[in-house]
Amino acid sequence: MREEHFRTERVALRALESTDAGALQTYLNDPALLGRRYIPWGMADIAPLSLSRVEEILDSWAKEKKALTLGIELRETGELVGHTGWYWGWDTHCPSVWIAVATDHQRVGIGSDVLLLLLTHLFENTPAHNVNGWIAGWNDAGLAFARAHGFIEAGRIPRCGIRDGAYYQEVMVDILKPEWLTERGRSYGA
Amino acid sequence: MALEGELVILREERHEDQRLFVELRNDLGTQGWNVALPPTYTVGMYVKRLEAMEFSYERDSARLSVVHKETGELAGYVTYSDVEPRIGATIGIAIAKPFWGSGVAFDAQEVLLRFLFLELGLRVVHLWSHSGNLRALGLAEKAGFRICGRVREGMYKNGRLLDTVVMSVVREEYFALHPEFEDLLPAPVSPPTAIG
Repeated sequence: MREEHFRTERVALRALESTDAGALQTYLNDPALLGRRYIPWGMADIAPLSLSRVEEILDSWAKEKKALTLGIELRETGELVGHTGWYWGWDTHCPSVWIAVATDHQRVGIGSDVLLLLLTHLFENTPAHNVNGWIAGWNDAGLAFARAHGFIEAGRIPRCGIRDGAYYQEVMVDILKPEWLTERGRSYGA
Repeated sequence: MALEGELVILREERHEDQRLFVELRNDLGTQGWNVALPPTYTVGMYVKRLEAMEFSYERDSARLSVVHKETGELAGYVTYSDVEPRIGATIGIAIAKPFWGSGVAFDAQEVLLRFLFLELGLRVVHLWSHSGNLRALGLAEKAGFRICGRVREGMYKNGRLLDTVVMSVVREEYFALHPEFEDLLPAPVSPPTAIG
């Protein structure tokens, strides 16, 4: 696979516009994606979202000064199939990333393409040394995806919420730049 | 009823507290856990920050001044933030160096935890520190916190790469350490003793 900045052969990461609200609402309200939508903190992540609420989300993302959220577009069709981003609130040394892909486009490699673009950007175009992510403990697919891409479990934060009558943990995962470079067959400073 | 411990009282912050808060912020040893900030904060800045706070019944964070009971001296402050109502919050603490080792920090942390578990009814309290801050980690462990996350080399401070450390104490663990309190808050999960 050949990747350009924010583009692979299959996907492009692009800015989200207010005109994306409808497409965003469609996949965000897929029941299978509830609880792992990576919408702004404080918004109910387990309930259907009205169009006006989705517009609020877009507005909130647009106003973020220490995070960037981009849409995931299929290059062949132009369809918006997810969103992704990174947050460097505390320190550009240690940003967090997230990826949300519409459930009917999962398991075909889109997430892998997106993660490659994110890590290439952060490790090759910013001062990032540790890139980390937060995944709900019940999200087996998300955890398996992170592990398969070289992320290591950094911890489990208890009681980040309640789901199906039980508390759930947030699993912290991270990858260091030297680990990522080794995986890519390169060395630090090369 | 005041938020009172054996050694300290926690109260609202006042204008006259801001001088010490500026000193704590401008001292690299007490200013916080993450990225170093230039020691250029002023009392004027802090007073503006205080005066910008507006009245609200909806509070998801607070800063409380720590007053040493015996002398009436201001010793520092404690904070809580990121409150998820009836679920959890994150705490912070900054104590002036003359009070280090005196028990003031532990007592202030205990009073804050009592407020969070017995008044706000939280099920978990978190804090963030780093692997170089052994004093803070030890203080937290003494209160029942356990390390639950460690972001490798997540910080660069004082010329060293340090791990970012997350610690948590869950409600049942807190009450087990405090048999003087009875937990009458119904658990939202089943079985109610699940640590999770």
